[in-house]
Amino acid sequence: MAATDRGTVRRRAVASTRVLCLAVLLAACGALTPGSGYDANNGRPRAVPSSTAVPDGDVTLRLNFADAPEMVDALAAAFEEKHPRIDVRPQYTQFADYVKSLKLTMTSDTAPDIAQYAIGMDALAQRGDILDLAPYRDAYGWRDAFPASSLAQLTAGRGESLYGVPVGLSMTGLYVNRELAATAGISRPPRTLAEFETRLAAAKRAGLTPLSIGALDSGGLHLWAALVNVLTPPETYRAWVDGRDGATIETEGALKAAELVAAWAAKGYFDPSANGTAQVDSTARFTRGESVFLVNGNWAAGQLVGAMGENVGFFPMPGPDASARSVASGFSVAYSVSSRTRHPEAAGAFLDFLASPEAASIVAANGFLPPDPDTDAVPEQKGVLGEVAAAHRRVVADDGTNQFPDFTAPSMLDRLRSGVQRLIAARVGPAEFLAEIQDVWEAHHGK
Amino acid sequence: MESSHRRGAMRGYLYVLPALAVYVVFAVLPALHTAYLSLFDWDGVTLGSWVGLDNYREVFRNPVLLRSLVNALALVVFFSFVPILTGLLTTALLSRYRRPGMGVYRLLFMLPQIVPLVAVGVTWRWLYGDDGLVNEALRAVGLDGITRAWLGDFDTALIAVGLVGTWVLSGLCTMLFLSGVHKVDPSLYEAARLDGAGPVREFVSVTLPQLRGELAIALTVTMVAALASFDIVYVTTNGGPGEQTTVPGLLVYRLAFSDGDVGLASALGVVLSCLILGLVYVVNRLSRSET
Repeated sequence: MAATDRGTVRRRAVASTRVLCLAVLLAACGALTPGSGYDANNGRPRAVPSSTAVPDGDVTLRLNFADAPEMVDALAAAFEEKHPRIDVRPQYTQFADYVKSLKLTMTSDTAPDIAQYAIGMDALAQRGDILDLAPYRDAYGWRDAFPASSLAQLTAGRGESLYGVPVGLSMTGLYVNRELAATAGISRPPRTLAEFETRLAAAKRAGLTPLSIGALDSGGLHLWAALVNVLTPPETYRAWVDGRDGATIETEGALKAAELVAAWAAKGYFDPSANGTAQVDSTARFTRGESVFLVNGNWAAGQLVGAMGENVGFFPMPGPDASARSVASGFSVAYSVSSRTRHPEAAGAFLDFLASPEAASIVAANGFLPPDPDTDAVPEQKGVLGEVAAAHRRVVADDGTNQFPDFTAPSMLDRLRSGVQRLIAARVGPAEFLAEIQDVWEAHHGK
Repeated sequence: MESSHRRGAMRGYLYVLPALAVYVVFAVLPALHTAYLSLFDWDGVTLGSWVGLDNYREVFRNPVLLRSLVNALALVVFFSFVPILTGLLTTALLSRYRRPGMGVYRLLFMLPQIVPLVAVGVTWRWLYGDDGLVNEALRAVGLDGITRAWLGDFDTALIAVGLVGTWVLSGLCTMLFLSGVHKVDPSLYEAARLDGAGPVREFVSVTLPQLRGELAIALTVTMVAALASFDIVYVTTNGGPGEQTTVPGLLVYRLAFSDGDVGLASALGVVLSCLILGLVYVVNRLSRSET
């Protein structure tokens, strides 16, 4: 009898413990509802004030960034000299980690005052985690200080808004090994895409590897994007990158670009191991004279001059005819202002400093292209650096800076990388390749 | 009598409690939380929305995600089967007689285990490169025709990555089996030899059955390493070329941290965990039922 009682009591105890456990678990889950702790934009401003006055007082600006630490330190030091009461504290994070943690950093209560613009900023702008800088653009007159195309990249797809200010620009194009080119009978850079193809064929006939691309990482997509740039009206492409309604990459020009990549691969114009070669490795092979041309960006120019001196040249991907608009992939290192900052005026002063000739000379000294190519602050460069600067000037004059295609959606980089690899290995058709990319676009931007 | 018995049992739980608490907080709850997150469409920051089992449907419908599961299973061949066969063969050769210098062998077998996997991956990427040691060796023996960038070739990339795993895990298996052989009663070998068993017969009839426990452990550890692989793939190919070497571990990381699709990443993680648990269960059942 007593034993039965004890048994019942015990069963009840076990049962109630179970219920309790379940309740605690459910309650825990309720509190853990993903994102329930996220504090939506409660009363924070969405745009900066429209005055350029910087209030008196000691101010510390925290600046999170991922590119060119030496350049940022130099910019901060030069700025502090002009504004002794503003202390800029740069915080460097490696690019890959920076991009991955950006969303959490910028939505936390300890967000930095200023942060480097990167993929994902469009979503942050949408939510009001970074400030619209349009009032400053008008108050400081930034439309005159920066080329239209580089400001247009920083609207986060929201028309008249502005979510970043450019510091230095990057641009992709083609490098040439002059000596090798001469042995293949190539004496001057091509003026049209057809001429470029003839040169690739000539290099192949001469028994050389015509074009080196590092398709293991981003080299393949740089080539495809370079071809899309010259074969597609920039407005169509930009609408797609910005995620405008109804935009598509399944256009005639983009298809032609994909067909060219596939055709060049089939004709053996690329390094046979392109898919297993990283960008840095393809560049190293080019410096060793293992290919005539190389697809890469201005960031490689310094390294190439060091290794090859006078033997290397640069030109942007040529268009269908010699008078075509010069269009190239490029993006600026740019800075945004957090909506959690308590010092938007001081941040504005720093961003405006980036438009100064002094900042331009610091940027150029660190191997980047100043946003305004016609600035007098930068001495004329010689050799391939001069050719890069000249190509950049032409592209800016033609309003031809196109954003990199991986800015379209967070998962685009991986899809493009593997897509171009399959294109090169003839594992996917050009049309199918575009359809896959468009699917990624739809998943991110589609309704 | 009975109550003191029960008090004893309760006291037993008390001893387990600290470890249990740590385990629950740091392993069980996160796992449950992951399963819970897999039912949401969540970008990692803003309020998620409940989507039920949609993420699981996506795992089994999306060709890239499916492909990654198939690749992981293919890696089991290179991470589990080949190392275990290598380990058994080495053990058969080394264990028949006790020789001096076994310590050196053991050290050599252990070496791949103490090198960080990222360093292993970087080293093998160089070895497999266009001008890497693998191609140099092939050229040296006149096999110029088959040299290639092994990790960039659609047909060879997965095998190349798999062989890195073989290199890492063969030593572990050998170590396990060698230590297992040490506990075998020498009289069994003696009896076998008296019965006229040759080295092969001796291995099959004495060594192999005695190693059943070690085999189960080796199979479990290496299969988990294959299915949950991340470091080697991330460093050598990052999933390429195409989706040839994409594995679930890589996609979980990408989906959660680059693509902002935490729900789908969690669902893939849950599917992967179930797959691993299922296979480990089968291995354990097989090794037990024969005892």
